Amino acid sequence: MPQPILSLQQVKLTLEGNAGPVEIIKGISMEVFKGETIGLTGPSGSGKSSLLMLLGGLERATAGTVTALGQNLSSMNEDELARLRRDHMGVVFQSFHLIPTMTALENVATPLELAGQRGAFKKAEAELEAVGLADRIDHYPSQLSGGEQQRVALARASAPKPDVLLADEPTGNLDAANGTAIIELLFGLRKRHGSTLILVTHALGLAQSCDRLIELDDGRIGLDCA
Amino acid sequence: MPDLGVASIAAIGSVRTSIEQGLSRKGAAILGGDAEVTFSYRFADAVERDWMNANSERTSEIIDFRSLAVVGDGPDAKRALTQVKGVDSEYPIYGELELDPPIKIDDALGLRDGIQGAIFHPDLAEQLEVDIGDTFMLGNAKFRVSAKLLAEPDNIPSGFQLGPRTIVHTNALDDSGLLGPGTLFSSRYRLEVADSANLDELRSDAEGLLQDSGLVWRDKRNASPSVQRFVDRVGSFLILVGLAGLAVGGVGIASAVRAFIDGKTQNIATLKTLGADRQTVFAAYLIQVGGMVLIGTAVGAIVGSLIPVALAPFIAGQLPLPADFGIHAKPMLEAALYGILAGLLFSLWSLARTQDIRPGALFRDAVETGWKLPAPAFIGAVAVFAATLVGLFAWLSGVPRLALWAAAGIAGVLVVLCLAAIFVRWFAHWLSQKRTLHGRTALRLAFGSVGGPRSEAIPVVLSLGLGLSVLATVGQIAWNMNRTIASDFPSVAPEYFIVDIQNAQIDEFRDRVAANPGVAKIESAPMLRGVITKINGMPAVEAAGSHWVLRGDRGITYSELPAEGTELTRGKWWPSDYSGPPLVSFADEEGRELGLELGDMITVNVLGRGIAAKIASFRKVDFSTGGLGFILAMNPSALAGAPHTHIATVYSTETAGKEVFKDVTSAYPNVTAISVRERINYFARVLAQLAAAVTYGAAVTLVTGFIVLIGAAAAGERARVFEAAVLKTLGASRRRILLSLLTRSAIMGLAAGTVAIFAGGVSSWAVMKFVMESDYSFEPVSAVSIVFSGVLATLFAGMLFAMAPLNASPARVLRARE
Repeated sequence: MPQPILSLQQVKLTLEGNAGPVEIIKGISMEVFKGETIGLTGPSGSGKSSLLMLLGGLERATAGTVTALGQNLSSMNEDELARLRRDHMGVVFQSFHLIPTMTALENVATPLELAGQRGAFKKAEAELEAVGLADRIDHYPSQLSGGEQQRVALARASAPKPDVLLADEPTGNLDAANGTAIIELLFGLRKRHGSTLILVTHALGLAQSCDRLIELDDGRIGLDCA
Repeated sequence: MPDLGVASIAAIGSVRTSIEQGLSRKGAAILGGDAEVTFSYRFADAVERDWMNANSERTSEIIDFRSLAVVGDGPDAKRALTQVKGVDSEYPIYGELELDPPIKIDDALGLRDGIQGAIFHPDLAEQLEVDIGDTFMLGNAKFRVSAKLLAEPDNIPSGFQLGPRTIVHTNALDDSGLLGPGTLFSSRYRLEVADSANLDELRSDAEGLLQDSGLVWRDKRNASPSVQRFVDRVGSFLILVGLAGLAVGGVGIASAVRAFIDGKTQNIATLKTLGADRQTVFAAYLIQVGGMVLIGTAVGAIVGSLIPVALAPFIAGQLPLPADFGIHAKPMLEAALYGILAGLLFSLWSLARTQDIRPGALFRDAVETGWKLPAPAFIGAVAVFAATLVGLFAWLSGVPRLALWAAAGIAGVLVVLCLAAIFVRWFAHWLSQKRTLHGRTALRLAFGSVGGPRSEAIPVVLSLGLGLSVLATVGQIAWNMNRTIASDFPSVAPEYFIVDIQNAQIDEFRDRVAANPGVAKIESAPMLRGVITKINGMPAVEAAGSHWVLRGDRGITYSELPAEGTELTRGKWWPSDYSGPPLVSFADEEGRELGLELGDMITVNVLGRGIAAKIASFRKVDFSTGGLGFILAMNPSALAGAPHTHIATVYSTETAGKEVFKDVTSAYPNVTAISVRERINYFARVLAQLAAAVTYGAAVTLVTGFIVLIGAAAAGERARVFEAAVLKTLGASRRRILLSLLTRSAIMGLAAGTVAIFAGGVSSWAVMKFVMESDYSFEPVSAVSIVFSGVLATLFAGMLFAMAPLNASPARVLRARE
């Protein structure tokens, strides 16, 4: 039996809110295997993005165990988690989250540089070319459209050829045409690098186009089907 | 942020006003009478005495001169320079002497066991190692120390005093041989006048009746003009430093308003989407920013005015001048006015950005990527505010020329710093794109951040750079002046000045001094003192203004032939046998400043006699070498019969100088020898104290700069937290993020420090060359420390605001922006 690349055992997440603690994830157990594409869906506030953050080590579980690539994330410090993401994960956000003081090329080259890869800028340039932004490499984020910014974010996430791609509603801020183009690029890049993809989306059709569909309901898995 | 500048200006202005009011209130006590008439090197004659007696209730005669107090005799005798005050039985008309032991002045100066009493300043007693009851000599007269002088109401420090005070009865000096013909002394007549007397009328009466007598009039309304001038100048200079602080604070305002407007981009875009026109939006934010400026200025002005009041118990004891500490409205309002104008001036440019924000900003993460000039109306308004601020400052400071130069200097430095900051941004951006930085993520991030949009480089380099520039300027000037005084000057200056050498003594004196093998050169010249009263028949001050040459008396010499090394610039020296109407050779530079030409007539009052002389030539006079230099040199027959003495300078080794001092002061008790070396050391000490005071003033500018720096760092914290969250998501360790944050701080500090050295170097060079007319050389140690301070300050601010980005949870930060 293959080892899961990501695994959650009875994971809970409680965050402090203005009105007191709010339990977002209420005991989730699941396994993700190498090469899978998973569509994570559910109503707003069901905990989709929080679950994605837990899988990426961007949020710490209040209870339970999160394991990624054989490592227990709960026992790792912040720098160890950063190194894990650097070497194995790429994250795409709904609001792109590009660094505004860097050009498109610099944004994409940064994770490669952090990983100590040789020729980071050459690789970044190639990755930007792959997402159709060869003529925009010296532009700052504010000089790019929303669709272009998301393509830069995609190139940045996929450039280090990550084992796991985590995408949090990557089309949420885009129009239909741009959204479709981004999804095609995302799946293309995943295929090219053989990455595992976990895609948070409200679009049921998009989620169903993944190998596996997980539906969250009030912090719990409501449906998990292939 | 400019509150500190406003506070410092209010504080300095309040102290100045306190001193001015103190001087005014105690005018009569400081002057020693309601009015004072001074004559140089002579006593009042019968006509003058009659006038004074007729116009006063009481008159007191004081004489003032310098001499040597000698304790013991033979080779072990101790000598110290002292400023002797001879008084009469009416002294003091106002105020009280404070003596130790607390005895009456008549008892202190009276005769006991056949020896006249004298009052010694404690410093003099210490120098000569004498105590109450010990005896000493002034010239040929013997005195006994009867009391120590703790406070003298009519003696506030007024510049050049050569030694601590000795007070004796004038009558007791009769046999001293110190007040012979031509001796350098001044006589002062203090008048007590009726309350109903009109001092203006009295003055004009005295000057009319006794015109050409060389009298100098002062009255209680302006008891100590030289102190007043000194206080005004120091106050104005410190306010200039405060103005620099205001400019630094202004940069902080500009930066804060810019950050404020950036933060309101979405609101402004929404307002415009809903139909608000540009004027409405601008007015809305002008009211908000204007309100903050008003509150900040009011707080600054009030706190600044309260500081001297709070510190009064400590300052009053240290201050050698009377001061009426309290809350003074004028300096407070003045500072507030500067604060409001500076606040509006510096915020307007940033507020103009509200006009450029378009509704489209709602749809993308608007980041400044370019720079554009605001509309002409804003540029015009900025120019008007700047001109009003500078004009007002020039008018209110009382030193318009200095104020305008300083304002131009500050503006110049701001422009240089601005250009430097732009260059730093460009260079950092250029460097961040270079292949050499590829793979050095922390460095590339740092340079990219300094060179990219939302860079803090401009406010940081401007504010910190201006503060450091002021400090660098003060440091370089102080070092250069110290160097000039302590090292260059003594190499060309004489070892001793010897004055009051009588005609009968001069030849023997020269032979005696020349016999010492350690003496390299002796210069001597006959000397009289005189006041220039008229130029071409008009009162001198009316003809040529208030030039220092016309203020008080000047040295005059005479000579058949030009002295060795004399360089005439215009005209001719008189023939050696010339005996016609008086001719004068005038100092070239001072002559030009007074607007004098060949053939002009000047009238000089010498010992009460007016001598009208025609200017026959101008000659170079170099006062910087410390040698003999006279503004006026006349033909011998012009001064025939005028009693006078000789002045000599002795160039020698230090040891030989001491030998000469002992020898000539023993042989000629009437002469006074002044050690140039001691004077230089004294000036170096005074200079160090002044430099320290100015450095404290400059520190206010630096502190303001540092606060602006902190403000800029705080304003950029949100952006850095976001950047750190993204970098952590991409796999950056906290160490690497910290390194990047600190590197960008250090780059900006280094830039600010380097520009400050350049700006400080240029401005100190200009001051040394054009104001001090001296050589300039660059002092590297303080320069390096300035750069170091810049880096340290920015690193500190960087560290202070690094915690939030380092501790930020990426998920929460990024989610909050979703």
